[in-house]
Amino acid sequence: MNTASQEEFIHKIKIALGKPLAESQRNVDFFKSDMSDETRGILERIKNRTPEERKKLLATLIEAAGPINLKVISCEDINSVTAAIADLVRDKDPEWGAKKSVVAWQHPLIENLNLPEALSPQDVTVFFTDVKETESGNLRQHVIDSYIGITAADFCMADSATMVMRTRPGQARSVSLVPSIHVAVIELNQIIADLKELYALLKWDPQESKEGLTNCMTFISGPSKTADIEATMVHGAHGPRQVHVYVITS
Amino acid sequence: MAKITTENYVAEAKKAIKNQVLQEALADLQHRFGRGTAECYRQLPEGPDLRLRAHDIRMKDIENLDVVLETLVANIRKNGGHVYFAEDGQAAVNYCLEVAHKHKVRRVVKGKSMVSEEIGLNDALVEAGIDVSETDLGEYIIQLAGETPSHIIAPAIHKTRSEIGSLFADKLDIPYDDDPSRLTWAARKALREKFLAADMGTSGCNIACAETGHITTLSNEGNIRMSTTMPRIHVAFMGMERVAARLEDHDILLRLLCRGAAAQNMATYVSYIGGPRSAGEVDGPQEFHLVVLDNGRSRILADEEFREMLCCIRCAACLNVCPVYAKIGGHSYGYAYSGPVGAVVTPLLVGINRAADLCQGETLCGACQDICPVNIDIPRMLLALRTKLAEGDSAWGVTPADRKEKLLFQAWSWMIRNRRLYDAAVKLAATGQRLFAQKDDMIGRLPPPVHGWTKGRDIKPLAAESFISRWKKSL
Ligand code: SF4
Repeated sequence: MNTASQEEFIHKIKIALGKPLAESQRNVDFFKSDMSDETRGILERIKNRTPEERKKLLATLIEAAGPINLKVISCEDINSVTAAIADLVRDKDPEWGAKKSVVAWQHPLIENLNLPEALSPQDVTVFFTDVKETESGNLRQHVIDSYIGITAADFCMADSATMVMRTRPGQARSVSLVPSIHVAVIELNQIIADLKELYALLKWDPQESKEGLTNCMTFISGPSKTADIEATMVHGAHGPRQVHVYVITS
Repeated sequence: MAKITTENYVAEAKKAIKNQVLQEALADLQHRFGRGTAECYRQLPEGPDLRLRAHDIRMKDIENLDVVLETLVANIRKNGGHVYFAEDGQAAVNYCLEVAHKHKVRRVVKGKSMVSEEIGLNDALVEAGIDVSETDLGEYIIQLAGETPSHIIAPAIHKTRSEIGSLFADKLDIPYDDDPSRLTWAARKALREKFLAADMGTSGCNIACAETGHITTLSNEGNIRMSTTMPRIHVAFMGMERVAARLEDHDILLRLLCRGAAAQNMATYVSYIGGPRSAGEVDGPQEFHLVVLDNGRSRILADEEFREMLCCIRCAACLNVCPVYAKIGGHSYGYAYSGPVGAVVTPLLVGINRAADLCQGETLCGACQDICPVNIDIPRMLLALRTKLAEGDSAWGVTPADRKEKLLFQAWSWMIRNRRLYDAAVKLAATGQRLFAQKDDMIGRLPPPVHGWTKGRDIKPLAAESFISRWKKSL
């Protein structure tokens, strides 16, 4: 679409930059960089991280989460996560309607929580954002009606307390956005140090780079917030008012 | 087209200085963000000098903009997105209207974006009969009040909670309240309906990454995620310069942007958007359009004196330390961009003569460069603009702003190079000044045509005898 306008546009830039007009040879080197020693070091460091080092990262994550009001809870095993979520569902009231329902990703870790069973005593329905739901045309409404959204994450960056999520079938982006409370469940080995590590993985790790960033990669660092009225901090501007991250440490 | 009111600089500045609410809000903003940002830079693992590296990265991107942009758009098309190159604001707006028309769009939610202010997107959509909602809380307040934003990051800082309370009571039909939390939640409720009903969402782009083929958007509220997730169509606007070549570069720029914009390590939400929802995915927009905008940027690019300005990532850090912005606020600058960044960008985009006051109003103190995450030498460019105004410039179509002033300085320059004449003039002035009222050893008022000097300050009288003549005598 509009290749003519693109040609003109780029041509104008070339003239502005004083590049020879006939220059057809692309500056290919500009993007071609070999893996630097620094990057190699980063990838090695991630691969060889000991359980102690991972615990340390968890401590960094918890520290960074405090000021941005992100709740990070470490749990021994998956059963205690299920129990904690069941408590959360009991304690919290829906923001928009009276009925409690929960929406969750179709993801191995989340499915292993056995939430439908755990929440059935409270008479709370769990919807999964799977293909079946999409085909039924109800998915969007279920997300809107649910007051808690449960997701996994690809990574969690400790130094800024940021969860990283890519988009895949079954893992709706709106689950971490539209419900009033967002719950994310991760495993200890998904915590990385910082953005540098993330970019190194996404660009150079054979497996991660194959999938790439996907068409929508999202960073989430805490609940939605604003200070637009007299500079007073308020949580829950448009996104979730609370975010709980459960880290399975075993 | 967007409204440009740069001519009202002086009048608007006067109004702002008298506005007590605004003065307090501005002082508070500067106090918190200015200092917070500097502290954030100090805590960077690489130290504050990362800013200098960021400058080099941006310069390299700009100097290879043709290649970088072509790579970006090729990747976005590969991901299934549409790309449109817009020569000017009108073309960008028309394209968006076309897309809206084709998809029978009736409601649009807007994620905050400077570029959409620059091109006047809002008015154009409204004129086309489309229901448009600003979704950033500050912008929403401004839209309800029928005003324009006064700060890039905090658009509604000039309004008090009680003003907002009355505004909401009137427009949202709710009981009056002046608690910021409850007001925020009232807007949350109203806007949630807008998000869910919208057919199209628009956004800007903070920094795209060419090699992966993604734009990135940042927000703390989540409004941009909502606008780019829930509606069927997403149209993103980006200035053609807002792109980094590689992920490694993007890392540095993104971290500095968050620190510069709000003294944060990371914005609450950062989205990397590369295209529409892919096959099998269950939500996200069905169509993604990226509009790449020139609108005068290639002209800036062509002038090596100002090319550096294209490094700007619109973080607003310079506003938060600028002593002039701190007093006159954003409205005085009369266009989408205010503060030091506006004082350079606006004249270059709308005309140097037309926006002459903007570059002349700044103090050249250098605080903007020190806080700039990409270390842009704004003072140098302010001076370059002033030179053009003093001497005229045919390439930029600048006529000398004030011929009288130029004549005066020519005469002055001639006189000070003429020793005897200069001595005589100084003597005359030293005698003549006795005619003017002196108070506390200062002259409070000079006669025309030099009365402007003493309008806002007193000046010290000349000594009865000049230094040079005293020095000669004591020899
Ligand atoms: S000039 Fe620098 S500080 Fe000002 S908005 Fe641009 S990048 Fe930020």
